[in-house]
Amino acid sequence: MEVLRLQNLQKSFGSVRALKSASFTLNEGEVVALLGDNGAGKSTLIKAISGVFPVDRGEIYVRSQKVSIRSTRDAMDLGIETIHQDTSLAPDLSIARNLFLGREPVNLKWLGVFAPLDLAKLRDAASALLKRVGISKKLDADALVSTLSGGERQSIAISRAMQFAAKVIILDEPTNNLGVEETHGVLRFVKEVRAAGHSVLLITHNIHHVFQVADRIIVMRRGEIVAEQTVADTDLLTVESIITGADMSALLKETRAK
Amino acid sequence: MPGVKRRSSLIRSPQFSSLVILVVLLAAFAIADANFLSPLNISNMMAFLPELGIIALGMTLLLTGGEFDLSVGAVFGLAPVVVMLLVQSGQVDIGVALLAGLLLCVAIGAINGLIVTKIGISSFLVTLSMLLVVRGAALYITQGFPLKSWDQPGFFVTLLAGSFNIGSFRFYTSLWWFVGLSLLAIYVLHYAKLGNWISAVGSNRNAAVARGVPADAVKIWLFILTSVLAGLAGMISAFRISAASPVAGTGYELEVIAMVVVGGTALTGGRGTILGTIVGALMLRSIRNGIVLIGVPGLAYNIFVGVIILAMLILHALLQKNAARS
Ligand SMILES: Nc1ncnc2c1ncn2[C@@H]1O[C@H](COP(=O)(O)OP(=O)(O)OP(=O)(O)O)[C@@H](O)[C@H]1O
Ligand SMILES: [Mg+2]
Repeated sequence: MEVLRLQNLQKSFGSVRALKSASFTLNEGEVVALLGDNGAGKSTLIKAISGVFPVDRGEIYVRSQKVSIRSTRDAMDLGIETIHQDTSLAPDLSIARNLFLGREPVNLKWLGVFAPLDLAKLRDAASALLKRVGISKKLDADALVSTLSGGERQSIAISRAMQFAAKVIILDEPTNNLGVEETHGVLRFVKEVRAAGHSVLLITHNIHHVFQVADRIIVMRRGEIVAEQTVADTDLLTVESIITGADMSALLKETRAK
Repeated sequence: MPGVKRRSSLIRSPQFSSLVILVVLLAAFAIADANFLSPLNISNMMAFLPELGIIALGMTLLLTGGEFDLSVGAVFGLAPVVVMLLVQSGQVDIGVALLAGLLLCVAIGAINGLIVTKIGISSFLVTLSMLLVVRGAALYITQGFPLKSWDQPGFFVTLLAGSFNIGSFRFYTSLWWFVGLSLLAIYVLHYAKLGNWISAVGSNRNAAVARGVPADAVKIWLFILTSVLAGLAGMISAFRISAASPVAGTGYELEVIAMVVVGGTALTGGRGTILGTIVGALMLRSIRNGIVLIGVPGLAYNIFVGVIILAMLILHALLQKNAARS
């Protein structure tokens, strides 16, 4: 079943056409890898989906319903959680406070932004979550994020996306700067998420990872989607040559034929 | 052992090193001059403390949110001047005039906040310009002359500048304002949802926005709050001395920022402490007061204040570094 469908999304920054036209569909329980060289427009595409900035043109459908995503809050409410490339944690806040940032458990809800945080619940929920992701042994929910390593931070960001049971989880280069152990943690997480019926859009430069976890591959070049293939139907060398643009015409023909 | 851990994190906290410095400072002044801890002198310090302290509370929240405001001293001067001009015009009564003064502060804060967030100019430049505009306005509308302030006893005078005695100490109601606002600020920054947002916005704005935190709105309201508190402090001061001067509050912006950072709030945003600010306010107040008592010549006064603040900050940074290392 289709969870997310993009139709002809376009976005320019001044004269830079970062996104010329992008259309694709993401199905339930599917991991789609979004590939492309630096500056291909991958981050721009997912920022548009997650409400960081509005698109110039194009439509977004969530579960076949046309939606307008005008803010990050809109995207979150639609069940789209994004972990951005430029890390998405506030270093001066504790792990627990980061995990619930923007969705804090509070008492006396009618007080609005002045409502007191439910600190006990915050800490308990955070510990439970860390345990579920398997990093509770090392980390204290009250520790400041600034005291964590890059890999630990990435794990926190990922467990946050997990906790709100998002329909769609978008990961922008989640294994960047990670050690071997942490990288395996992230890939395992992606598989778990799929097993739980969620969909994942994974951006990465590491093609090996793609073949380990993805069902489908989408390749972008200069703001356009140039190829779409299922992982079972392709191999590493083919994908690599599509990304770099070598022998593009032959490959495009091949994709179109399918 | 959680007890031990908690204790060590308390000692490491920035408020704690500020508190140590404050105690040392108070002891030093008390030894240098016995009058330092006399009821009269303490009453004196407590009369001045809230006026800058109230502004410092707003500035702490604003700095934690990642911005700062250089126009507070000018707003401190302008707000009571406007109130008194309105009253003297005979059109409105004192209550309405005070309200109008505070609304003007809201407008000034909102303009600061809107320009900083929506146009994206640094708060240093925006509020520096605002300082000139506001101070200029105060001078122009008064033609540079101080105004006689409202001095007829009544509800508002009691509310803002009433005084009472406890034993041989004489306190002003402004001290209650400071205590009340401090408690409120502690609650908001450390226990309310809003405090989480303020710290997050100052710590990593993009991260906060990505979680749906309305970062611009948070900042704009903090600018408004800071301006309103500066105006309120100006009115309290004007009522206490029964005069509204267009040059009142000159230089306060730097002294307030000094109080806040001496207390341990990060100038770079994200980390703020109200308790630290209270300690910082006490510290700067007692420095100003103490060096007069121990007989520093009048003209050399600011040299001493500056040097002592700098020494505090260095000491503070060293203590912090040590604590972080252990
Ligand atoms: N905010 C912006 N303002 C101006 N230009 C931008 C902005 N964001 C992206 N661009 C431009 O749009 C193009 C696509 O950028 P994008 O970040 O989407 O690339 P990417 O595919 O994520 O690359 P990478 O693999 O390096 O992360 C680039 O040419 C980039 O310079
Ligand atoms: Mg990118």
